[in-house]
Amino acid sequence: MVGTKKKGLFFRYLIAVVLLLIMIFPYIYMVLNSFSDWEQVDKTLFPTDFTLKSYEWLLGGGEAVIPRPWLQAFFNSFLVSASSTLLMMVSAVLVAYALAKIPFRGRDTINNLILFQMFFPAIILLIPTFLVIQKIGMYDSYWGMILPKAMSLWAVFMYTNFFKAIPETFIEAAKLDGANERQILFKVVLPMSKSITTVIFLFLFMERWTELLWDMLVVKSDSMLTLNVLLSQMFGPYGGYPGPMYAASVLLTLPIIILFLIFAKKFQEGMQFSLK
Amino acid sequence: MNTKQGRLGWLFTSPYLIYAVVFFLIPLVWSLFLSMTDWNLISPTFSFVGITNYTEAFQSPGVKAAFFVTFKFLAVFIPLVVASSVIVALIVKGLPKYKGIFLIGFFLPYLASGVVSSLIVKGLLSYNSPINEFLRNSLGLDIDWLGTPFAALFVVAVIIAWKFTGYYALILTSGFESINKEIYEAAMIDGVSAWQRFWKITFPLLYPALYTVLILSIGVTFGIFTEVYQLTGGGPNFATNTWQMEIFTRAFSNLQAGYASAIAIIASVVTFISIFIIRKIIELWGKRNGWD
Repeated sequence: MVGTKKKGLFFRYLIAVVLLLIMIFPYIYMVLNSFSDWEQVDKTLFPTDFTLKSYEWLLGGGEAVIPRPWLQAFFNSFLVSASSTLLMMVSAVLVAYALAKIPFRGRDTINNLILFQMFFPAIILLIPTFLVIQKIGMYDSYWGMILPKAMSLWAVFMYTNFFKAIPETFIEAAKLDGANERQILFKVVLPMSKSITTVIFLFLFMERWTELLWDMLVVKSDSMLTLNVLLSQMFGPYGGYPGPMYAASVLLTLPIIILFLIFAKKFQEGMQFSLK
Repeated sequence: MNTKQGRLGWLFTSPYLIYAVVFFLIPLVWSLFLSMTDWNLISPTFSFVGITNYTEAFQSPGVKAAFFVTFKFLAVFIPLVVASSVIVALIVKGLPKYKGIFLIGFFLPYLASGVVSSLIVKGLLSYNSPINEFLRNSLGLDIDWLGTPFAALFVVAVIIAWKFTGYYALILTSGFESINKEIYEAAMIDGVSAWQRFWKITFPLLYPALYTVLILSIGVTFGIFTEVYQLTGGGPNFATNTWQMEIFTRAFSNLQAGYASAIAIIASVVTFISIFIIRKIIELWGKRNGWD
């Protein structure tokens, strides 16, 4: 009896591990091909000859005919994603705190407007948002990529729900101690929101880091392209360099995976809360 | 409710108010206005054409394709991603230890950029790739994955399902955890088989989590762009031409900004109504299983 139970357990883990390996196989394939000899790229599932040529090509700017600034693109991606995410977090915290904890006239109206906008199909906004950015002179600039994505209604929604669940007694107690709203927000409410903040931060950053359509539309200068856009343009229609393509994919994917793994534990705690 | 709090409330919400005016209300009005012009995105002049853009759009093959392609994606992608995430969640649920580590592992595909996953799949499906060599040499199958209408749509659906499986499995896992274990014990005593236990107990009781997954994945379906842009450009013969792809091509490749705005408005109306109806159907199913 004990034996069969152990055996059953072993098979459960075996199935889980095999399934997990299948799911992350595209990543494995990507990494292997980025180190693989150019002759073997996309020719075999498990390459046998390895080289650093793809990375040298990538970091050296490619072949002279098509000089592509990959490190610059990496920096651009980081700058745009970090600033955008930071602005989204700060604005969401402020708006959500007001909606959840400050009673003021007009609050319900703003709340309803946010819900209305959230469920409004965003597809309609693509062209006119592009025109707004053009009109205010932000076409082909970092701001053009950052500002339209400086606010996340989803983040506002998540924070509002979380803040509402914080008992009033904590806030009353802080008020009795003479704390003002700003101090309550920074000293009481935010320290209680660490895990939800991790969840929101990771989702926003991941989404911003992998954005294609908007960044592709609003920036034309080679020096300002994000890594995702550069990768798309370089290897999309033109193709031709599969080895470096996989190296560039690693360059794009690795930082976000590392970032995620660093916060993985807090992320899970936060998810558990936000799904309840 | 004093004036100080009132001022603070408006001050704190002002980022949203500014954002809503600049990036929601103005674009919304502008879009309606543009949809009735023949503007080409560059020229300083344009003229009013009334509802011509709309009548033209209703007859265009690209728009018709976008309408049906979205529903085809719903029909292929949703069952695929629900099945795969339920399977992953069930497997993780059966593990007494290290659940968290497995969930984190299954979540990793969510971090992939659509560009990267498309490029990897392009490599995996290229003519001389190991997969195609195997299919050709062992099974005699010569499939032009991205050149065949249904295969192309299927490939895109699989890529997106791959991305979201782990994320949805995470949602479903917490759904499983909220199901009362005693129900299973009672069912086991009554001799209900595992298969029946899943369909008659687990599945209906999972409704709140499934509802979240369905709503999220429907939203994803109506916004498909990156994978299609990267892999097929909407082809072959409009077989993967989503709304976003159609609007992008019209406005920014063909420079028909006015016409594309009309399509965008049609797209958002279709999206809004479709999602509303689908939600009602899901909620009806939930009600039949005793959920409000």
